[in-house]
Amino acid sequence: MKVSLFITCVCDMFSPEVGKDTLELLEKVGCEVDFPVAQTCCGQPAFNSGYTKEAKQGMIQMMKAFEDSEYIVGPSGSCVGMIKEYPKIFKEGDDWHERAVETANKAYEITQFLVDVMQVTDLKSNFTGRVTYHPSCHMTRILGVKEAPRILMEQVKGLELVELKNKEMCCGFGGTFAVKNDIISREMVIEKSFHVSETKADYLVGGDMGCLMNIGGRMSREGKDMKVVHITEILNA
Amino acid sequence: MTIHNRDSFLAHITRALNRTPRLIHVKKPVWDYEPQKEVFKGFNLEQLVDVFALQCEKIHTSLRRTNLKELNNTLKEVLLDHEASQIITSTDPRHDAFKVSEVFDELNLAGKNVHYWDAKLGKENQIIAEKADVGITYSDITLAESATVCQFNHADNGRTISLLPKSYIAIIPKSTLVPRLTQAMEKIHKYEEKGNQIPSCISFISGPSNSADIEMSLIVGVHGPVKATYILVDDI
Amino acid sequence: MSLNLNNTAYKDRIEKGIADQFMRQAVSSAQERLQTGRLNEAQILGDWEEWRSLGEQIRNHTLNNLDYYLTELSDNVSKRGGTVFFAETKAEANDYILHVIKEGKGKKVVKSKSMMTEELGLNRVLEKADLDVVETDLGEWILQLDEDPPSHLVAPALHKNKEQIKETFIRERGYDGSDSPDELTAFAREQLRKEFLSADIGITGCNFAVAESGATTLVTNEGNARLVSSLPKTQITVMGMERIVPTWEELDVLVTLLTRSAVGQKISTYLTANTGVRLEGEVDGPEEFHLVIVDNGRSKILGTEFQEALNCIRCGACSNVCPVYRHIGGHAYNSVYSGPIGAVLSPLLDGYENHQELPHASTLCGACTEACPVKIPLHEQLIMHREKMVELGISPKVEKIAMKGYAKWASTPSAYKLSANLARTTLTPWIKNEQISKGPGPLKKWTHSRDFKAPSKETFRSWYKNRTKERE
Repeated sequence: MKVSLFITCVCDMFSPEVGKDTLELLEKVGCEVDFPVAQTCCGQPAFNSGYTKEAKQGMIQMMKAFEDSEYIVGPSGSCVGMIKEYPKIFKEGDDWHERAVETANKAYEITQFLVDVMQVTDLKSNFTGRVTYHPSCHMTRILGVKEAPRILMEQVKGLELVELKNKEMCCGFGGTFAVKNDIISREMVIEKSFHVSETKADYLVGGDMGCLMNIGGRMSREGKDMKVVHITEILNA
Repeated sequence: MTIHNRDSFLAHITRALNRTPRLIHVKKPVWDYEPQKEVFKGFNLEQLVDVFALQCEKIHTSLRRTNLKELNNTLKEVLLDHEASQIITSTDPRHDAFKVSEVFDELNLAGKNVHYWDAKLGKENQIIAEKADVGITYSDITLAESATVCQFNHADNGRTISLLPKSYIAIIPKSTLVPRLTQAMEKIHKYEEKGNQIPSCISFISGPSNSADIEMSLIVGVHGPVKATYILVDDI
Repeated sequence: MSLNLNNTAYKDRIEKGIADQFMRQAVSSAQERLQTGRLNEAQILGDWEEWRSLGEQIRNHTLNNLDYYLTELSDNVSKRGGTVFFAETKAEANDYILHVIKEGKGKKVVKSKSMMTEELGLNRVLEKADLDVVETDLGEWILQLDEDPPSHLVAPALHKNKEQIKETFIRERGYDGSDSPDELTAFAREQLRKEFLSADIGITGCNFAVAESGATTLVTNEGNARLVSSLPKTQITVMGMERIVPTWEELDVLVTLLTRSAVGQKISTYLTANTGVRLEGEVDGPEEFHLVIVDNGRSKILGTEFQEALNCIRCGACSNVCPVYRHIGGHAYNSVYSGPIGAVLSPLLDGYENHQELPHASTLCGACTEACPVKIPLHEQLIMHREKMVELGISPKVEKIAMKGYAKWASTPSAYKLSANLARTTLTPWIKNEQISKGPGPLKKWTHSRDFKAPSKETFRSWYKNRTKERE
């Protein structure tokens, strides 16, 4: 199986280790992985702010970068979710519509790809610790991936999964929202941080670095000793 | 003229919908789904009674089950429970058919007061209803799912009988039981379709009035009845 | 006249909401309760997604043929002895209602809860004309006594606690009981009974009108709407023009969706369908019936990409799951309509100038869209609003420049690569222990309340390049 890694700009710059884990996981299950260097950003920051014209320029770049790929797999429900929306943005009649559909059809979030396409549930990983999972909004509601992360984590040896209260409630990240509506965002992340602490977990796990940077940043500010890790790190352990 | 400004008003809509002129006939499509018909599909009457009984508890309504022979005694007991001395009820042929009028006669003889809604008395009926301890009416269609009594109001069955008195008692013939709102609406729709005039008021009632407007705590008994009892009569 | 409740600035409203600890506690516990209720009932009902799709289909069909169904409705109301008044604007609606009341020499008006009349600002108009207007929904009555606007579509007084309500009752009505909700409610019952019995005008809203019969239906729990439509001599029902279903069969589906989504009820305690004036021999019900159908900006939404916003059945489920509403409360929206649907509708009905912050007051988490019983893509409509505002040039200049830069960056791999590799160097002066706690420029707002993860020393792409080289 040939797979192209979609690193996402956030992981590229802030969390390259997530890219490494994703790459290794894909190789572990027998995929041949390449990394198209012409990839940039999925376009979400501009699109969600209402700058569709500007967003489309980035999106076209992405469609070109992944043109020859069989599968596009990335470690983010949110960014992959954005790619899935391309056909709605390049509507029927648009020159790019067909390519938008093609690109969207071959894009997968990493846990979704492992479970749905590769049909893998047990990655033979070992990770000792008490873990709680924050299912990010775009992963669950935009992309519709609710079960895959849980299915995979349940097979990890040594891992104790504790339920997070109000887990599906947004952490307050929301891209530019965190800056534009910083006061509301603050209250949201304070509540999330509270619930994460309540679990007495050693690790907070998630599938989207944006949310994890938000919750992790708040918990670090509160002086809480919470280790924040991307799900690929656990699965690749 | 009883319709004002219609043409100019609808012209905006027609234009917005990018259509000229206005449509004279629209055929309702066949909907892609009909999940409403799947609810309690194939349930027999006894199963519906179970659904109904369970739901009564959830809506703070006491349920008494009885048969035609025992109905009089049950009704007497329920009225005693409600400490009813002023009673108002509809003028309904079922009173005689179910022999309920015997209870009312008995009560009147015993110094209580049972008032039959009397169109000729006009607003006086409302005044009596307002002072009554209990209002009694029959259910015309009964919804099992939500434990709902549906009644068609008319000249002999005032809306306020089930509304102004402190308590409400519904006599529910088992034969009126249907799975849910779907079947009731179907009946009304068909009645209408056949060219009949529907009542000026159709009331669906599910238990006593209530509100959660103060700190979300549920208070039973607000503007309508404070208490409700259903008497389910096996009439089949 | 706008939908705005007052002139308070957005930031001040947000801060006021956030500082109101009681309100936030009340809202969050209500949210959890209502959400659980909704999910439980949805689960019992079977295939909830089919129900939602059906609801959506019914609403789309009705709105796409609204002119037809409004014609049918008005014909039928008229046949049953009612008068129909089509009002394009608020002023037309208010003037007509006032005219009807004056004509009949009405003095006392009892009202049952209606968002449409909130939108019209009807109470103020009637009070100015020296009429005695009494809201009879418990929550609305409390708010009326306190001169406070509603903060939630179905639980209007959600932001108030029982102590505050007790104080209001003492001050306004000489109440001398405790603050137990039971006692407060009993007091309201007693006070409002008198009002019902002495009113000559009843004003109600309308959850759904049934076109085939000319019936208007009301979904309530307290019984006040039944009293309002049974006792007074004249009844005036006010509805937004989109509040309509073709037949009773569609009413079934929408009521089923409404009560479950609103409060997790299988059906409301009362579902009342009134058709026209009382019939020959009837005592209860109005002698005179007027139906006021209001546009007030709705026809401008019809036929646009925002049309689905008109599908709303006012259940409030979107507010009940919204994390933003949860923290700022309904009043912060400064509109008659709050929560996600308020953020979508207010700018449509009332222009961006009065509501331009609302479409941005969302993380686009999609919880509202998921909860909506008629599948309005609420978060997508918020993005569409943002897009519109960019087109109209309402958005900040700085942002515009930044986004131009973004477009260049995201469409030029070499520029992207360069900046990605430089991110660490640029931020180095602010990095301590791999965190930035006092960021420069736009980062400042982030680091006010949380640390910012430092960019990595090596980007993924440069690591990948080295790895490939090593392997060769």
